[in-house]
Amino acid sequence: MTERTIITVDGPASPAAPARRVRGQCLYLDGDTAQPQACPFEYADAGQALLIAHQGTTLRWPYADLRALRDQAGDQMIIRLADDPTQRLIIDTPEDRDLIRARAKNLDRYASHVKRSKLAMWGLAAVASVALIIFVLVPVMADQLAEYLPPEGEKALGDATFDQIRTALDDTGFSALAICDSRSGVAALTKIETRLTEEMDLETPLTVHVLNHPMINAFALPGGYVVFFRGLIEEAGSPEEVAAVFAHEIGHVVARDPTRIALRSAGSIGVLGLLFGDFAGGAVVLFLAEQIIRADYTQQAEAAADTFAHAALLEADLPPSAIGTFFERLSSEGQQEAGILDHLASHPAMGDRIAAARAAQPEGAKFRPVLDDAEWAALQGICD
Amino acid sequence: MTDNAAPDRLTTTFAGTRGPLFRKALWGSLWTILTLGFYRFWLKTKLRRWYWSAIRPGGTPMEYVGDPLEKLLGFFLAVVVLAFYIGVVNLILMFASLSLLASNFTAYFVSFLGVIPIWFYARYRARRYTLARSRWRGVRFGLKPGAWGYAFRALWHWIVTLLTLGALWPRKTFYLEKYMTDRTVFGSANLHQGGQWQMLMPAFVHVLIGAALLAVATFETWQGNLRVTYLYALAGPWFVYGVIHYTVEAKRILANHKTAGSLGLRADPDRLKITRIYVFGYLATTICALLPVVPIITLVGMIENERLNAIYDPTIDTDLIYGLPVSVWTALGIIAYFAVFLIWGVLRHCFVTMPLWRHYAETLTIEHPSALAAVSQKDRDEFAEAEGFAEALDLWGAI
Repeated sequence: MTERTIITVDGPASPAAPARRVRGQCLYLDGDTAQPQACPFEYADAGQALLIAHQGTTLRWPYADLRALRDQAGDQMIIRLADDPTQRLIIDTPEDRDLIRARAKNLDRYASHVKRSKLAMWGLAAVASVALIIFVLVPVMADQLAEYLPPEGEKALGDATFDQIRTALDDTGFSALAICDSRSGVAALTKIETRLTEEMDLETPLTVHVLNHPMINAFALPGGYVVFFRGLIEEAGSPEEVAAVFAHEIGHVVARDPTRIALRSAGSIGVLGLLFGDFAGGAVVLFLAEQIIRADYTQQAEAAADTFAHAALLEADLPPSAIGTFFERLSSEGQQEAGILDHLASHPAMGDRIAAARAAQPEGAKFRPVLDDAEWAALQGICD
Repeated sequence: MTDNAAPDRLTTTFAGTRGPLFRKALWGSLWTILTLGFYRFWLKTKLRRWYWSAIRPGGTPMEYVGDPLEKLLGFFLAVVVLAFYIGVVNLILMFASLSLLASNFTAYFVSFLGVIPIWFYARYRARRYTLARSRWRGVRFGLKPGAWGYAFRALWHWIVTLLTLGALWPRKTFYLEKYMTDRTVFGSANLHQGGQWQMLMPAFVHVLIGAALLAVATFETWQGNLRVTYLYALAGPWFVYGVIHYTVEAKRILANHKTAGSLGLRADPDRLKITRIYVFGYLATTICALLPVVPIITLVGMIENERLNAIYDPTIDTDLIYGLPVSVWTALGIIAYFAVFLIWGVLRHCFVTMPLWRHYAETLTIEHPSALAAVSQKDRDEFAEAEGFAEALDLWGAI
């Protein structure tokens, strides 16, 4: 470290005397041959450069242009020139490292050769292409393909999705959510189904299940699946309210909305997973699984299912206003805060839908009850 | 430091220690989580710079000149191409599979098969990028173009391997390594893989014995002969050792048959030492990685134990843990999930990867280094996509 004290009195300190120089030793890689040369060099502080003696010539490396390689193991210092990609100096001694560090002020600067504009352009292209595929191409294709999917294909898709949802919602994560099937409860549910579908011309027979889960929700799946959660059956005030929700879900089935959603998610999940690495990948999957259960249909699809339900209910001699009554109970009891994932109730235009349900009901119309009291009690106890 | 005396062999040293590696890997992994995975390009670059610089054949460190931004750019490029493939092709396959066979399993399977050639292609491109960004003594390495050729050969060798129930695995190892090595250059020097595939067969014998024992044990158990299940205790470890033995031996034999002109390589790794690194390294890594979930499991276990047995007065308030709101549970779960992956990733570098690299490096010598005098620099391989495809496909999401 004595050399350092010599440096401090170098050059300008005594202008009359010739500038004293300190020598160092390095291994020089010329960037062309694979032959490292042990070269002496000088700290030419007056010229602000390292002077490297190499095979009879002197290389001048300005202090300002020296850059140290980053993230090096061990304590060697390896130096390059800012605008030369291949030449290197390997500095082995701690004294020389300190001396160079004291002189080369830009040593730790790093410049990427990648142009920021190019990076930004491709970043935008990546986001745009993912957005285009997820929001335009996949939905358009899914809508088209859903029309041509044969009933057996829809059923297979529904079976798979139903199993996935049962597994996803199970608390233990190891088994599947139980299907409620008390004999009298199923009989009551079938009675509602028969009443609603008697006059309909359905392509595929419905598959109706109640899942043992407190969520106040019902959803439709491809292939004629209509699924209620226990929470909805228990929350409903009358069998007519269940029938109204039932009719709405049949509306989705007939319009093939769930098939579209399932095909869309088949196209989108992989693309979104592509964007994130191993760490975040798992979280993305969970998020998407929840999105599928929520089944966020478009506003038009919901309105169409409502319109279908109103007509179907009137056809079956049941009151369309029951759906409004059910929604009103949900909002008045402040169920939203209870954390309900309910695509029926979370729709922004719920007030409009209640009004539409009321309007669909002719003044002074008389209706036939769908279940008697015993059957209604059996349905509410379907999970017991 | 002076290599000019030109000895007839250059030994390799490894200059890295665990401390700096641990700090680098830990900070990088934390940032990777906080940036939803995007910092991984920087983490990878930093770790490679570190590993490369630690390896010093003849005392001169290797250098990795890859750039994180070019990796990010390559990733964007790959996303543009693959998003289309994965989104649209998956959807069409799903539709076809549902329409024709009424099953979506077929779709996933076909989609998986469709990705395999791209995966091999990506592997070759990734190797080409890595070599193009590696230097020793200031001279660039490189890999000549040939990714599709590699993909088709890899498919063919895999088919042969599968048809022979894995018995010809060494044939695949040899030909794929030969394809890559024969296209590898160091500056103006071409590498060459000598030897034949049969030379790897003796190294494969322990894998075959282990597999045969496993097959016998499984067959007998399936037949209802439960007395032979003890065979698993022999077959399992034998098979695992066989795989490690083969990995090390194949590397050694292949390296000893690699030449570049009169330059030669000599590798002499110790199988038992490598086995020790794998076994104890992964053991230590796994135990440490499970530490974040131990307190939760212990607490739940203690409460359950008290509830079920009720032998002594409950001393733990069950509300302490079951009374917590769902949001707290979710947060705890997410933190534990990331902590486990973080610790596992970081410690694997310190206890497995680094010791392995160190051992392979320290047992590597370069023979007849005087031939290096004839080697000169090669041009830069621009390679805009970097390893974007490999990066993007190395995920569950591709399938």
